[in-house]
Amino acid sequence: MNIGFIGLGRMGRGMAHRLLEGGHDLVVHDVVRAAGDDFVKAGARFGDTVADLCAGREVVVTMLVEDATVIDVAIRAGGLCESLPKGAIHIAMGTYGVAAIRALAAAHAKAGQVLVAAPVLGRPDLAASGQLGIVAGGPADAVRRSEPLLQLMGRKIFPAGELPESATAIKLANNMVLGCAMVAMAESFSLVRKYDVAPQIFYEVITEGLFSAPAYKGYGKTMVEQTYDNVGSPITVGLKDANLIAAAADLARVPMPSLNIYRDRLLGAVAHGDGDRDQAVLAREQARAAGLE
Amino acid sequence: MRIGLIGLGRMGQGMGARLLSGAHELLVYNRTAGKAKDLEKAGATVATTVAAACKEREIVISMVADDAALNDVTLGAGGIRASLPKDAIHVSMGTHSAGAIQALAAAHAEKGQAFVAAPVLGRPDAAAAGQLVIVAAGPPAALKECEPAFSVMGRKTVEAGAAPESALAIKLANNFVLGCAIQTMAEGFSLVRKYGVNPQVFYDVMTEGLFAAPAYKVYGKLMVDSSYDKPGFTTRLGLKDIKLALAAAELVNVPLPSGSVVRDRLVGAIAHGDGDKDWAVLGREQARACGLE
Repeated sequence: MNIGFIGLGRMGRGMAHRLLEGGHDLVVHDVVRAAGDDFVKAGARFGDTVADLCAGREVVVTMLVEDATVIDVAIRAGGLCESLPKGAIHIAMGTYGVAAIRALAAAHAKAGQVLVAAPVLGRPDLAASGQLGIVAGGPADAVRRSEPLLQLMGRKIFPAGELPESATAIKLANNMVLGCAMVAMAESFSLVRKYDVAPQIFYEVITEGLFSAPAYKGYGKTMVEQTYDNVGSPITVGLKDANLIAAAADLARVPMPSLNIYRDRLLGAVAHGDGDRDQAVLAREQARAAGLE
Repeated sequence: MRIGLIGLGRMGQGMGARLLSGAHELLVYNRTAGKAKDLEKAGATVATTVAAACKEREIVISMVADDAALNDVTLGAGGIRASLPKDAIHVSMGTHSAGAIQALAAAHAEKGQAFVAAPVLGRPDAAAAGQLVIVAAGPPAALKECEPAFSVMGRKTVEAGAAPESALAIKLANNFVLGCAIQTMAEGFSLVRKYGVNPQVFYDVMTEGLFAAPAYKVYGKLMVDSSYDKPGFTTRLGLKDIKLALAAAELVNVPLPSGSVVRDRLVGAIAHGDGDKDWAVLGREQARACGLE
């Protein structure tokens, strides 16, 4: 397949390499030209502009950081909508807001193209090994045509439905469940600490029973060891996502009281100077609220 | 060992059977005598008063429903405190408030008696199979003496510390994390439903990834199936436990904002007539809150 890939950050580069290894004809683009060097060495072409990248592509994958960037790449002069052939598919794989995805879907439809939203679950190491979870939403035919590519990048594809924003809703809800799990752990650790319980003991009780899952094992361990400077996903990214979730909830008229607590604790962590630390630092923020630090 | 067991509900009966299978000599007491029949057949001696159940015992275990019942069997006339032989230990294995446990520890200490709190994790089937997790706290020498009893009732004993209320803090915090997980899933399901997503797909995304643990698999499935009529644990009992967690937190000045949200939703569920449903019915209560039911 003739594929374009835009956005060669930590996630994007792993995903693009998987496509190249799958034997596809790949053109890559990034605002930082040097990010494309190893792709060119491996047989891909570097597109100097988005318009250049789009020529003759059946599918363009974007893995960009935020709403404003992906919308700009799509609708500006010389952007995806103007440059992609009719019938081509744009697979948007970043985590975006519902409103942005709706706007992208409409803009592509107007230009005779199709949007598939396919946000991913997993960190850069899983992207590099093609082990991501991928939630795909969009017209059935377009999702089916995208599948060979998604299968190179992921170990499992979850079909969300005909609307791209359905995939967005699932991804955002999953992030919300994670954030709230961290808040609940944070609250618990401060409770047991005040009763002179070693945090490690509480960690063992929860993770060997009802909560023997990566979310609790990973973030719980970081809380016990207070290794917040070893950053997987920082507080500021959590806040960005929490705002996207709140906006999606707003649009759909869904009160989410637990989300609001998560968002407020993230704000508090930023206010206390922990914005660039790992999100597990919510445990310290909660400890502050309880007068423990 | 010579053991007394007070409180023969579904949990107590299973634990009693395990003690008998461990070749302990067992005296049992229950306010409603009929509940002692099975254990009597299995070799226990039925006592007609609390005082009789304490006679010549090395350990007296209480497994009663709430603080009022615990205070009654412990501090009432002819209660455990008045009847416990010298050097014997009172082991409280129910889920109680941190405040009640602190008060009982003081009451026993006044008489030079040892007191251990050992709340359990697990349902009646786990109790019957000797597969409970026992969280035990109290004087180290007393904990050591209890080990032969604990080892036949549980698959694991977690030692929480020297202060009995430490064990309750762990037990209540564990239930609190579960309540938060249920409420958070409820919010996630209502969000994705409003975006046209089949709840089963969101369930699959959560439980095959970050949340591949019993809490999410069991309660998530109940929500997907809207199966609330065969309660494993009712809304009312959930409210009781969350209130205990909030009270334990207030006692040591720990704000638990997530706990407050869960409590309010449980109260709302009861207001809507769902008090005797499984507490997974928070899924429905959240759906009501956003106009889905």
